[in-house]
Amino acid sequence: MTALNDEVRVIDAGRPPARFARGWHCLGLADPFKDGEPHEIEAFGTKLVVFQGQDDGELHVLNAYCPHMGGNLAHGTVKGDAVACPFHDWRWSGDGRCAGIPYARRVPPRARTRAWTALERNRQLFVWHDPEGNPPPVGVTLPEIEGIHGPDAGEWSDWTWKTARVDGSNCREIVDNVVDMAHFFYVHYAFPTYFKNVFEGHVATQYMESAPRGDMDLGNLSSPLRSDASYHGPSYMIDYVFTEVAPGVEMEMVLINSHYPVGADSFVLQYGAIVKKLPGMTDEAAAEAARSLIGGLETGFEQDIEIWRNKTRIDNPLLTEEDGPVYQLRRWYEQFYVDAADVEDAMTRRFEFEIDTRRANQAWRAEVDGNLARRAAETEVGAP
Amino acid sequence: MRPVQCAACGNQVLCEKFSPAHTSVQWTADAAVACAEFRDLVAQGATSARTRTCRALRSSIERAVADGTLEVGGVRADV
Repeated sequence: MTALNDEVRVIDAGRPPARFARGWHCLGLADPFKDGEPHEIEAFGTKLVVFQGQDDGELHVLNAYCPHMGGNLAHGTVKGDAVACPFHDWRWSGDGRCAGIPYARRVPPRARTRAWTALERNRQLFVWHDPEGNPPPVGVTLPEIEGIHGPDAGEWSDWTWKTARVDGSNCREIVDNVVDMAHFFYVHYAFPTYFKNVFEGHVATQYMESAPRGDMDLGNLSSPLRSDASYHGPSYMIDYVFTEVAPGVEMEMVLINSHYPVGADSFVLQYGAIVKKLPGMTDEAAAEAARSLIGGLETGFEQDIEIWRNKTRIDNPLLTEEDGPVYQLRRWYEQFYVDAADVEDAMTRRFEFEIDTRRANQAWRAEVDGNLARRAAETEVGAP
Repeated sequence: MRPVQCAACGNQVLCEKFSPAHTSVQWTADAAVACAEFRDLVAQGATSARTRTCRALRSSIERAVADGTLEVGGVRADV
C-alpha cells in the first residue's frame, strides 16, 4: 500500500485566493458604456455601476449598491453628472459624493460611496482594484497601443470584441495560458515553433512564432504568425501579431486578452482584435479581417473554457522539459495577491525561459501529417 | 541553476539548460540597472521587461556552454 502511494502523484488542488488581484482590469470597450444608461458589472465579489456624466462626458465607476437603503444604481438613471437610485432618487456623483437627495432637507455628512479609479485607454474602460485601497503606483500603467488615439487612429480597424463568463474556475487558469506552449497546439490549433517567456516587474511576456496547422482552418490565423504578447499587470494582455500576407507585406494585428474576476471561482473573459489597414485596404476589408481573426481566436477560447469547466485547480502541476515555466509564472502572479509591502524580489526579478520546441514539433508534424493523410484517404473512398 | 557572468558588463545571472535549445535565466538583480545593454535601452525609452534578450549575456551563456562551465542536459527540478 505504502509503496503504491509513494509512486502516485497526488494533486494538490489548493484553494483560490481569498482576495482579488491588485491592478488595472478592463471592463470592456468604452463606447457601449456611453449610451446614457447606467451599466451593471458584477466584479470583485460585488456589483459596480458604470455611467457617463451628461455634462463632463467622463465614464464613472461606483459601487452599484446605494449606501442609503441598498438600491441598485445600475437600475437607476443618469441625471446630469450623477447616477440616480431607482429606490429613492439619491444622486451620486462620479467622485462618490452624494450630489443631492431631492426629498431631503440636507445630505447626511457621511454620504459618500466608493468611486473606483477609472481610465479610458485603447478605446476600452479600466478600473483599478487594490484590496489595500491605494491608488495606482507611478509606473504601473497600461500602455497605449501606438496610433490608436490621435491623428493615425484611422489606420486601425474598429475593435471586434467578445465576452464570455466562466463559472467554476479561478482566473489563474487563463493566466497559466501564457506559459503553456503545448496547449496552443491542442486547444488553440496553433503550431508553436518558437516559444519564450520573460517575466519582469509587473509584466509577463510570451514570444511565440507559430506555423499554421494544415489540418485546421482558423481563417487568417491560419498562416505563419509572430506574436509578442504581454500581460501588463494581472489581467490585461496586449498581443501584437504579425503575419506575412504577401511577399514582403506584413499585416499587423493587435489582440487583447483580458479578464476581471467575478468571484473566487468565476471570471469574465474578454478578447478583442484590431487590424492595421494595409495600403489600399478599405475600412470594410479591415473590419472583416478583424472579424476573421476573432473567429479563429474564439475557437481556441471556447475550447479553453470547456477545459476549465471540467478540470481541477492544480497547485502542483507535473511538468516535462517541454512545458513552460508554470511555477515561475505563478510566483510572478503572486505579487498581485499580497500587500504591496510584501512583494518580494523573487516575484518581480527578471526571469527568462526559452523552450526547446524540436521534440514537440516532430511529434506534432507527424500528427498533422497523419490527420491529413487520413482525410485524403477518406475523401478518396467517399468519391464516386 | 549555475551562475554565469556576462563578459560585457560583469552582471551575474543563474542559468540552466535542459538541452542546447532550451535556456532558463534567473536574474538576481534589477535587470534594467544591472545590465549595460538594458540600461542603454531604458535610456532610449524602451523597457527591459519588453525586451526579449540581452545579446551580450546570450553570447556569454553560449561561451559558458562551449567551455563546459554550464552543463547542458539538466533534469527539470521544478515539478
